[in-house]
Amino acid sequence: MMLAAVLLFLALVLPGLPLGQWRAFALDTAQFAFLISGLALAWDLLARTGQLSLAHGAFFGLGAYAAALSAPALGTVPALLVGGAVAALSSLLLGLATLRLQGMYFAIATLAFSEVMRTLVLKAQFTGGSIGLPVQPAFGGAYPLGGYYLAVAVLVICTLASLLLSRSRLHYAMAATRQGEAVARVLGVPVVRVKLVTFMISAFLAGLAGGVYAMKTLFLSPYDAFGLGRAVEALVIPIFGGLYTTTGPLLGGLIIVSLETWLRLRIGEGYLVVYGVVLVLTILFLPKGLMSLFARRKGARHA
Amino acid sequence: MLRVANLSKRFGGVVAAREVNLEVRSGEILAVIGPNGAGKSTLLNLLSGLIRPDAGQIEFLGEDITHASPEVRAWKGLGRAFQIVQPFHEMTVRENLMVGALYGKPGTSLKAARQVVQQVIELTGLTSKADTEAGELTLLEDKRLELARALCTQPRLLLLDEVMAGLRPAEAMEAVELVKRTRASGVTVLFIEHLMPVVRALADRVVVMDYGQVIAEGSYEEVAANARVREAYLGRSA
Repeated sequence: MMLAAVLLFLALVLPGLPLGQWRAFALDTAQFAFLISGLALAWDLLARTGQLSLAHGAFFGLGAYAAALSAPALGTVPALLVGGAVAALSSLLLGLATLRLQGMYFAIATLAFSEVMRTLVLKAQFTGGSIGLPVQPAFGGAYPLGGYYLAVAVLVICTLASLLLSRSRLHYAMAATRQGEAVARVLGVPVVRVKLVTFMISAFLAGLAGGVYAMKTLFLSPYDAFGLGRAVEALVIPIFGGLYTTTGPLLGGLIIVSLETWLRLRIGEGYLVVYGVVLVLTILFLPKGLMSLFARRKGARHA
Repeated sequence: MLRVANLSKRFGGVVAAREVNLEVRSGEILAVIGPNGAGKSTLLNLLSGLIRPDAGQIEFLGEDITHASPEVRAWKGLGRAFQIVQPFHEMTVRENLMVGALYGKPGTSLKAARQVVQQVIELTGLTSKADTEAGELTLLEDKRLELARALCTQPRLLLLDEVMAGLRPAEAMEAVELVKRTRASGVTVLFIEHLMPVVRALADRVVVMDYGQVIAEGSYEEVAANARVREAYLGRSA
């Protein structure tokens, strides 16, 4: 909670700091880090019900395309909501078909979904197909920091959703579903509904982040927007930071994206090697991610 | 309260339940006994909805629940404690109980659930362990948690699957007292048990199963004197 408040303060004042020639780069990196952290927080929500999704890159991409296509007609904020809604709707359809699957099988189904979505966007006409889609900046470019603050807002929304859900009734249902589905059902937890609702909230948030991303990069291609890399990042960050927590994906996202950006500058594509080593070390020595470093936390309560 | 009619279930070539007829009367403690593999646990799984019957009917409080999902049965007041304790390991005892209290009865608020949990914690003697993670409990504590979690759903009928198994005699007698207190609070109980002293101490009525069938029914003394029951338990092994 404290940490989130401190981070929010830093995010708000960052554009005002005297960063000189680094300012544009710092803001750009921070904006990207906020969106990816938001995506990781969204992914973690579904993980709390025991489902491993590889579709979150696709939800991010769907949100990006939907927001980009609807922004000229609707304006920035409604377009972002459309992005989230399209992602949530697709998660509902995917969920109805696959949420009865467990573990590995669900993961494979979500992977297939991602590939199908990429192919559809690639083959469709109105998405610009393989040529790509130019995107208007947020608010038509009227506010230079508009996109940055939208990213801050998305991260705040994802953080609040994560915190509120871990204090709600649904929290108990999610944790019970993850730890023993049959037992949870006998205790009265409607596990399919719990998974479906969580999936939709999670996809909505991922789509929201994707929309802001579109208005940041100003150009979308199916290869970038539906790349598997982002789906992997969405799950790597919570594992690195600490699963089923708010602080974990939040802090993990900021660290991983910063690290990745810095390494890219220093050693180009070699960053993937370092990235891999950091992950392996985390899994080996910090089974609960960065959260292992903090005071030992009990069970299902989350920071 | 619960009426089972001609309930049947096969797994491949194995008949786990063959036209089982059974009635649980409101307020009683009914024991279901029988040799290993007699179909007792299958019966409980059929009753709590974890497996679906091939044929037959289950009626609970006058409603047909044959095709109801486990969660719907829980909402109607059917509670269940498992033989192999399955606590949610990453949660504390209190959090485990909260799951049952919140979802066992639809529309329970967080506040109301916390009160139910506190009462059950005191009733089941888990006060000192309330904030311990479930993964760190002893077997006896695990069994108490299993029972407590089922109680938190505020059942009308409680199904207990060998909740005494693995306990020392003194511990089992403690658990017997707990079940008696539960019944005194207005809960009907159906339990499966291997330990005959426990059956004798608790059961108002006993149903004996063998090869998926009900072979005898009556008071403890009646079934203990029944020739078919003696054969089922002793005949084949002697």
